[in-house]
Amino acid sequence: MARSTSKDAQALFHSLRSAYVATPSSLKIIDIYVGFAVFTAIIQCGVVSVERGCEKELEITVREREISKKMRKVVYMAFVGSFPFNSFLSGVLSCVGTAVLAVCLRIQVNKENKEFKDLPPERAFADFVLCNLVLHLVIMNFLG
Amino acid sequence: MGRKGRMGISHSSSVTLGAPTYIFRIFSVFNVSTQLNSTRVAREMVKLCVLIAAVSLLPILCLSFSPENPTDRRVLVLLDDLSLKSSHSIFFNSIKSRGFDVDFKLADDPKLSLQRYGQYLYDALILFSPSTDRFGGSLDLAGVLDFVDSGHDLVLAADESASDLIRNIATECGVDFDEDSSAIVIDHKSFAVSETEGDHTLIVSDDFIQSDVILGSTKVEAPVLYKGIAHSVNAANSLVLKVLSASPSAYSANPSSKLSNPPLHSGSAISLVSVVQARNNARIMITGSLDMFSNRLLRSGVQKAGDSNKYSKSGNEQFVTELSRWVFHERGHLKAVNLRHHKVGETDEPAIYRINDDLEFSVEIYEWSGKSWEPYVANDVQVQFYMMSPYVLKTLSTDQKGLYHTSFKVPDVYGVFQFKVEYQRLGYTGLSLSKQIPVRPFRHNEYERFIPTAFPYYGASFTTMAGFFIFSIVYLYNK
Repeated sequence: MARSTSKDAQALFHSLRSAYVATPSSLKIIDIYVGFAVFTAIIQCGVVSVERGCEKELEITVREREISKKMRKVVYMAFVGSFPFNSFLSGVLSCVGTAVLAVCLRIQVNKENKEFKDLPPERAFADFVLCNLVLHLVIMNFLG
Repeated sequence: MGRKGRMGISHSSSVTLGAPTYIFRIFSVFNVSTQLNSTRVAREMVKLCVLIAAVSLLPILCLSFSPENPTDRRVLVLLDDLSLKSSHSIFFNSIKSRGFDVDFKLADDPKLSLQRYGQYLYDALILFSPSTDRFGGSLDLAGVLDFVDSGHDLVLAADESASDLIRNIATECGVDFDEDSSAIVIDHKSFAVSETEGDHTLIVSDDFIQSDVILGSTKVEAPVLYKGIAHSVNAANSLVLKVLSASPSAYSANPSSKLSNPPLHSGSAISLVSVVQARNNARIMITGSLDMFSNRLLRSGVQKAGDSNKYSKSGNEQFVTELSRWVFHERGHLKAVNLRHHKVGETDEPAIYRINDDLEFSVEIYEWSGKSWEPYVANDVQVQFYMMSPYVLKTLSTDQKGLYHTSFKVPDVYGVFQFKVEYQRLGYTGLSLSKQIPVRPFRHNEYERFIPTAFPYYGASFTTMAGFFIFSIVYLYNK
């Protein structure tokens, strides 16, 4: 059994990259879109976790708080809690839903997936748009 | 509350009985004046008419302005023997002098009746007829109990000749007289000193209940003389109170025979005088000594055996007078009026509250002093905001003028609530008020909108929407 080295890892990344370069550009656009959705979701979840630390910090440095009271207030207000829980849920779920729908679209328009070779990409995109409309309609209603 | 209704009825009936006779008098004066046909006389008659009219209106005006009056007015005294009227005259006179209408009857009077046409003729009953086996007329055990059940008061005094009827009445009130009919209370340590040695059945006791309401604010200094039978209060009955207990050395036995078995009743478990305040605020006083009320014991001096203090007058007069004041509702009768509640900053009572509303609650409590309603001052009146269990329990603060108030926040629970004031204190009539009030949740449009805290989430939602739009364009137009 061969020992894994950093060279093996490099070789792995290299082969992955070269394989990904061959991917059609339409799929790459979808990948970027999924990345954007996941990033937005992570920021929002981060807000909730950062908020705990923020509270602690506020207690510790009273002087600092006085200096940048106004700025901190805004930061605190923006970062505090999952209090309007419905808003938090709709914010995060809109990102999750977007990512899931985009992945579904990617599966359906990929030529290599034999399962969907009978499904025209136009039809797949139309489904994607319709699902997104429904998703955002629900999100807007739930946002409060 | 039954008492309240009864007093209302008696007032209105006396007004309606009074008015027609006055009107008749005025008309008869008019007839006389027309017959005489003289101007001078007619003028005099007009003056007289005005006077009579004014006089006739006076009692109606007085009655209409007099407040609700819980004190008993008409007292029926049932006696075995009319000689009791003179031998107990001090007690009866003190009742009469307080404005009571006292009616003496023999217990076996064949015309005896407590009620007529469904209306009670008396407000209180004094049973000074221990040996009566059967009342005259239609009165019986059930009649006496119905009398009490409808909110009227009862004073019952027995002695060693107590009949089964009297014992049964006492038992129904939660008090058990010693079943041995020959037994009386004997105390070889705390008896009244007299010239003759005697059999120590005239005992003294100063073990009073600690209650200013029942026994008045001035302490009974001299001990009370007692000669009679023992009773015990029923442990299962929480409404009975021992007002005067025997000393620990007392026991109940036949003084003329040798004590062969341990006495059934002994020590301070023996109650000499007990009172009951029923849930309908009827008050009952039960004692095993009729002599306690007699002029002889009221007037005699008292010296407790082994005690150098000699009182020139026993505590009996003060004791029985103060106790009768309590029994006849001259003291310790509370009423609660004007139960109000409203939102903070408003004055009108709403039909419904919303959760988390701030509200103010107030109620007025007065005590009857025998003549007028005085503000009741206490620091332990509480209000409950109640739905199957109290969600809020707050002690009310008082302004010393009878008004009790507090403010609190409606809990974060919706449903049908009640404001409840349950006030039960030793010697006072119980207050039990409740007022229903529903509490609703927030309306759909009462929730907060555009909360600054939620702006990141709003931002994320709109960003993904914009992202979807841009993605669609880019995806469709790349080739």
